Amino acid sequence: MAKVLEGPGMGLMKKWGIHVPNYVVVTSVDDLAKLGLANEWMKETKLVAKAHEALGSRFKLGLVKVGLDLNGAVAATKEMIGRQVGSITVTQVIVSEMIPHKDEYYCAVKSTREGSEILVANCGGIEVESNWDRVKRLTLDIGQSHTPEGLEKLVKDAGFTGPLANKMADFAGKMFTCFDSEDAQYLEVNPVVTRETDGELVALDAVTLLDGDAKFRHPDWNFPFAAEFGRAYSRDEMEVMAVDSKIKGSVKFIEIPGGDTAMLPAGGGASIYYSDAVVARGGKLANYAEYSGDPPDWAVEVLTEKVCSLPGIKNIIVGGAIANFTDVKKTFGGIINGFRKSKSEGKLKGVKIWVRRGGPREKEGLDAMRALKDEGFDIHVFDRNTPLTDIVDKALQKQ
Amino acid sequence: MSILANKDTRVVIQGGQAGVNAARRMAEFCYLIKKPLNVEAFVYPPDEGKTNEIPYGSGLIAIPVYKTIAEATKNHPMINTSLVYIGADRAMKGGMEALDDSHIKVVSMITEGVPEKDAKILGAHARKLGKVFNGPSSIGIISAGACRLGVIGGAFDNLVLSKLYREGSFGVITKSGGLSNEIIWICSQFADGITTAIGIGGDAYPGTDYVSYLEMFENDPQTKTVVIVGEMGGDLEERAAEWYGAKKRRVKLIAVVSGFCQESLPKGMKFGHAGAKEGMKGEGSARSKSDALKKAGAIVPPTFGALGPAIKDAYQELLNSGQVKEPVEPALLPKLPKSVEEAMKADEVMVAPLIRTTISDDRGEEPCYDGYPASELINMGYEIPHVIGLLWDKRLISKQEAEIIKRIMMLSADHGPCVSGAYATILAACAGIGLSQSVAAGLIMIGPRFGGAVTDAGRFFKYAVDNHMSVDEFLAYMKKNHGPVPGIGHRVKSLRNPDKRVKELVGYVKSLNIKTPCLDFALEVEEITSVKKDNLILNVDGTMAAVLVDIGFPVDSLNGFFILSRTIGLIGHWVDQKRQDSRLIRLFDYLVNYAAPKRREVPPLK
Repeated sequence: MAKVLEGPGMGLMKKWGIHVPNYVVVTSVDDLAKLGLANEWMKETKLVAKAHEALGSRFKLGLVKVGLDLNGAVAATKEMIGRQVGSITVTQVIVSEMIPHKDEYYCAVKSTREGSEILVANCGGIEVESNWDRVKRLTLDIGQSHTPEGLEKLVKDAGFTGPLANKMADFAGKMFTCFDSEDAQYLEVNPVVTRETDGELVALDAVTLLDGDAKFRHPDWNFPFAAEFGRAYSRDEMEVMAVDSKIKGSVKFIEIPGGDTAMLPAGGGASIYYSDAVVARGGKLANYAEYSGDPPDWAVEVLTEKVCSLPGIKNIIVGGAIANFTDVKKTFGGIINGFRKSKSEGKLKGVKIWVRRGGPREKEGLDAMRALKDEGFDIHVFDRNTPLTDIVDKALQKQ
Repeated sequence: MSILANKDTRVVIQGGQAGVNAARRMAEFCYLIKKPLNVEAFVYPPDEGKTNEIPYGSGLIAIPVYKTIAEATKNHPMINTSLVYIGADRAMKGGMEALDDSHIKVVSMITEGVPEKDAKILGAHARKLGKVFNGPSSIGIISAGACRLGVIGGAFDNLVLSKLYREGSFGVITKSGGLSNEIIWICSQFADGITTAIGIGGDAYPGTDYVSYLEMFENDPQTKTVVIVGEMGGDLEERAAEWYGAKKRRVKLIAVVSGFCQESLPKGMKFGHAGAKEGMKGEGSARSKSDALKKAGAIVPPTFGALGPAIKDAYQELLNSGQVKEPVEPALLPKLPKSVEEAMKADEVMVAPLIRTTISDDRGEEPCYDGYPASELINMGYEIPHVIGLLWDKRLISKQEAEIIKRIMMLSADHGPCVSGAYATILAACAGIGLSQSVAAGLIMIGPRFGGAVTDAGRFFKYAVDNHMSVDEFLAYMKKNHGPVPGIGHRVKSLRNPDKRVKELVGYVKSLNIKTPCLDFALEVEEITSVKKDNLILNVDGTMAAVLVDIGFPVDSLNGFFILSRTIGLIGHWVDQKRQDSRLIRLFDYLVNYAAPKRREVPPLK
């Protein structure tokens, strides 16, 4: 799942005929000033300025300013750009036209196993969140498109009447077309509002989740996907991602500040069970990591170095199930190199390493790990006869 | 009994190298259970018409590659299953092609990163046709003792350790491919092993979900208990719970779910497979899944580690109630033949070597010449003549000897474009022939009349010296037994027009104050022969030969000095013609004496 920021999200909606406010995304005050000279709407209407970053609760953080004129928007942009919120630095601001409106509505399309659901409510904003029973659904099987009758019934069920019902049905239909054509996994507009000037429905906000796996057939997805973690990626995380994009198989790495149990397990499935075991034992995870699909040893080495560089760690869990085709000897070779390098850089002092693994060339791989004892590593190696997560129990009960 | 994959399963694999690798693993399993290979065809348009060689036991089986599924099933009508190993951008088309073929009932997709929409379309299409679409991102399906689809089960040793050669009574359904072997292993250690294990893939919307497979297991009398390895995200586990709780089921259900760590992670942080995304308001969380499963009556061990004992308890119950009996293990299982390398490493075979070498060894970090690492020779100041000494005569020659060889090579590197060798190379270069062939054309000219007399000259001079012959005796011997003396005589040079190269080389060697019996003898021979005819002088071949014999090189290596040094010139001529972009040349008529019969009538064929 790939999150898309408001700007490109609204761009996709506009592409499929959904009315959105005029907007610009800027990275500097100068950009905004220049755009102000070029665009009439920026002089004629009131403006909204929002930090264009993957941040929650922007309103509370003062990163949303409304009712501005162009000068006010310039001042707000100046204030926002460069502001540090947690690990995120605000680098972009979206300035859009304010749409005078009275009533707010809700519309979303979400993916389901059978196909998708169109969600509509005749209230919007915070009101819909506290009145979730007012949301009505139209279920569509995969390959099935909406019908005018179906949409009509949906908006009627949701309490829309008269000309507004027709407009809402049309809006919901376009939302679905956008969802279906753009390989979206979730689209949400909250609120949808009636523009007072012409009575058209306008999307004031866009939550857009796209299927990153479908990027190959969308040449116009020229925007970056936003971090899904509610924070920016760290340097080490980005380095591992860069490696991941280059290799067969995969390596993943996410830091969790404050933890003391570092994870270096194999396989997406087992990695979560290992993390669960740490939490169940009362441990604190220092990171999430996995390598899978028989990645090259150098990639595993890079991942290992990042794991060894986590601050304040006491244990490293080199866990893994019985592999199908990942070469244990080769991938362990990468881990061993990473350990040696880290040790020579003065890391791993007082850190215990716990290993459990099976799979092709498991004996050779495990023997090589055991041999690290002779080099002064505090390493404990187990084979397939020790149940998967027992090394976590052993690691954490000794403290 | 088993589900989905059984002894009648015949497979087509869609895809290239990844598919071939899977076929190899499948062949190992077929070999273990003593059944013929269940892969009958590949579909991979770039390799249409070729065959893929799949090792089976100690032999190889050639499996044909077709362009389309239709061609594959037309030629192999027993095919009923397809494995899709095609890239994510073309996977849907391939999957559809397989589903639409009337022979194929099961399609399992291994491809990862398939767009969600495509997976849904494939799943819906299969359901409409009453077929099974498994995956995407599936590690495969394995039925113990019957059929393996994909790499599930891992290496051969693991198949044996996990007792996959015979049926057990536990069914397995897992999202995680990496954990499939783990759970199969657990079932074999804590119970009697599996019937069928299915990797359904970790995507959000797998083509076929737990419920469909639970139904199949419910209808398979051999399967007594089903183990589900779940993950947070989506609602597949909840649906499985709903199915299990809906009415009394014949099979027992044991399930584990991962993702409890989510509860203690910073907000917004989510890990794992594409499907492992928590829904709104806690739905799809590990806790909600595990609660739903427990409520439905499933056994839900608190951790993955507790799964083994839970399976053991379930098995004990089955034994106690007489539903299953302790399995009888086969006395003898086939062993996967080792490769020659593996067997040699284990000291199990001795192979008679095909060739023997005494000069070099490239098996270490770098080649060693007669035992000396090349880089160390360089660093110690040795040069090309020393390498020649090591590789041609297996000895480290002296500085002085190296200097002589260097001079010999410099003197005989080239002799202009007109001589046979250079002319042949130039002719070939002008005909547009490549470097190695053109140089080879020049080298082919080296023989008894051009440049190839060095070895023979050396042999005969050495024979004379070794046998203390006088020049007269030698000339008589040669005349009687061999003919003209190799190394004596020149096409253009003569006593009055001496070959400066010979003078130069002789002068240098003489100045060194070393013993040169062969050279001395050759010069004596020249004195006599050149009196008889003034071009019967000691030529460059003869001089080189005598000197090289004197410094100890074996006679069989002597032509090599000319071949090696003249190659320098031949390469030069080829590059020279190439640089000039020379055009094709042919002889002019006036350069040919046409002595063939005049044009005449062709008689009728008899």
